[in-house]
Amino acid sequence: MQKDYSRRQFLGLVGAAGGSTAIYQTSLALGLLPETGPLALADLQHIGGHKRRILILGAGISGLASAYELERAGYECTVIEASNRIGGRNLTLRSGDRVDEMGYDQVCRFDDDPHLYFNAGPARIPGHHKHVLHYCREFKIPLEPYINDNRNAYTHDYKAFGGRPVRIREYVTDARGFMSELLHKAVNKNDFEKRLSDEDKERILEFATVYGDLDANAMYKGSSRGGYKRGGFVEHGELKGTLDFSEMLKSNFWRYRMHWGEGEDQAMPLMQPVGGMDNIVKGFIKHVRSPILTNAQVQSIQLRQDGVDIVYNVKGRRRKLSGDFCMNSIPHHLLSGIYNNFSEDYADALASIERGHLCKIALQMKERFWERDNIYGGISWTNQPIEQIWYPTHGIHSEKGIMVGAYTFNIANAKFLERLNPEDRIKAAIEQGEKIHPGYAGYVECGVSVPWARMNHMMGCNAQWPEELLRNSFSILLNPEGRHYMMGDQISYHTGWQEGALASAHYALANIDERVRAELSGPTVMG
Amino acid sequence: MRLFVFAALVMHGACSHADDSPVIPPDEFVFCTVCHGVQLKGNPLIEAPRLSRMEAWYVERQLHAFKKGWRGRHERDIAGMEMRPMAEILSDDDIDAVTTYVNSVDSELPGKTIRGNVKNGRTQYESCAACHGGNGEGIAALGAPSLTGVNDWYLVTQMKNFRDGTRGGNSADRYGAQMRAAAQILTVDQAIYDVVSYISTFQSKQER
Repeated sequence: MQKDYSRRQFLGLVGAAGGSTAIYQTSLALGLLPETGPLALADLQHIGGHKRRILILGAGISGLASAYELERAGYECTVIEASNRIGGRNLTLRSGDRVDEMGYDQVCRFDDDPHLYFNAGPARIPGHHKHVLHYCREFKIPLEPYINDNRNAYTHDYKAFGGRPVRIREYVTDARGFMSELLHKAVNKNDFEKRLSDEDKERILEFATVYGDLDANAMYKGSSRGGYKRGGFVEHGELKGTLDFSEMLKSNFWRYRMHWGEGEDQAMPLMQPVGGMDNIVKGFIKHVRSPILTNAQVQSIQLRQDGVDIVYNVKGRRRKLSGDFCMNSIPHHLLSGIYNNFSEDYADALASIERGHLCKIALQMKERFWERDNIYGGISWTNQPIEQIWYPTHGIHSEKGIMVGAYTFNIANAKFLERLNPEDRIKAAIEQGEKIHPGYAGYVECGVSVPWARMNHMMGCNAQWPEELLRNSFSILLNPEGRHYMMGDQISYHTGWQEGALASAHYALANIDERVRAELSGPTVMG
Repeated sequence: MRLFVFAALVMHGACSHADDSPVIPPDEFVFCTVCHGVQLKGNPLIEAPRLSRMEAWYVERQLHAFKKGWRGRHERDIAGMEMRPMAEILSDDDIDAVTTYVNSVDSELPGKTIRGNVKNGRTQYESCAACHGGNGEGIAALGAPSLTGVNDWYLVTQMKNFRDGTRGGNSADRYGAQMRAAAQILTVDQAIYDVVSYISTFQSKQER
């Protein structure tokens, strides 16, 4: 059968061969991709001697940043947090920390050592997440490079290669090689919709040759990119040979995970705070002077013409606060359990987002065995429910390490782990890890799991916006209802990211600032 | 201290108005309201039903059913599995205390979300009435709880669970097994929507 390739299909083919890098570069050259714009930091005008009170619901990243910005502009803030800790899903677990899971209160049993920590929530900061980096700079939080993508890590699929884990280096190299070889064959047939000029054709073939590291006959016979079987330093290097192309196609790795590291938010280099992601929370706690009430659970949110009333319980006492504005980061799925007088449209929009189900498991390993296997940081992927194994970037060559033994993107996998008790989750993580690293179980000293959809006062993770709602109704929740603002990563196109939380907070802050400026410069009441 | 809190609950609970003066949950039971909502008014988004004013004996029996694994163990009962660990951490004394709390709170009656054929539902309900009473008021002596004040979507889920054996499948769970047998008449989903829509009319009578 004759196959025609349009320019778009050609780009698609190149993309399939090695991810979006090639497409990205081409698109950039064509001017199709916008540069990330300037940082949209709300520039709050100081309100001087005037009084404005803002009630902030939730002491996660968006709530803390809002309090910090507002109080510096002369606003009076109160942060009301339902749980026993400040930080929301920015959670770093260390020795002795409590994990407040519903029904399974756990204590983290890691050894007490500065590098033995687990970022159970956000764990990586890309260079274009300007709000997050702005606060890291402002609070002088030391950052270090974070390794997110590692060619020496493994891809494992029990349906391919007889269930044997394969180095990502080999897989990616061979995928590009075989795809480039195919591209040669296709271009040589010259079956393109629009005839390519001879010059273009030649360039495409050259591109394919270097892209896939083909031999002089445009055949793929393996590449040093995939690593040597032996030698390569003081002996002649013997190539590994290639993987079986048919097995490669059977593996699901090419569908998504192979291109993971190409994502705008996932592409290297990334960063992490030295010593734990919660250094960002600590930075806010150090600088925010407004009261942050913990164990204070909101019972009622009543919107008034000129403000918002909040009722909350704390230690068996009921309290009421009135504010000029309310900034609300309570998880959208919990709001229908709280008394409120939201309009039907607003309540419906909140109710139509589904809660996310990310789940992470961390294991303390008595030896950093992966480093002896040439793996320093990065992720191994598997199609078992644990999905991912993360190797710590920090503490290289120290004795022990905290490995992320599961991180589920697939909701079904997360739900599977959620249904297990903490002990069985660790068992599952060990059993599945064993398939990638034989002897894995022998290294595990203890573990801790954080299924976000079971955490007290959270019951969910990255909000799941249906595509249609995101397109049509996102602005209903992005913009205020009266003097009430929803915020947090849930009100962003970056759910599950701190940058989404901060962008959303700053959007609301800018809106409040605009309104307060107008109120303060309004017509003077004549006596 | 806890006794005092409960005494206060019982006194104020009886006359508490849904919105104006909510019963403050004792600290150890605040977590119940995370899912079941303020005043245990229910939250469909996490499939947590309204519990306000639920009969104490029924709450107690269900918490024990969760604890024993009669509920929340079946692989299809995802929401039940979310609940089971909560019941597992409760001692018998805790169950007594939480039962008192649940029975003391009030909230507005839930809205209608299920639209079935009320007329067909009335016919279906005839066989339910023997245990649950002519107006869904429940008959404690038969171990049959009230059906009013319960979210209609929750009734649908549970009737499907009983019918499919997701609930009531353990022979030791006498009342559950009884209800499972009774639910077999609801062969098609539509019959469930119909009967639940009819049950909703009892609530309207109460509201009047």
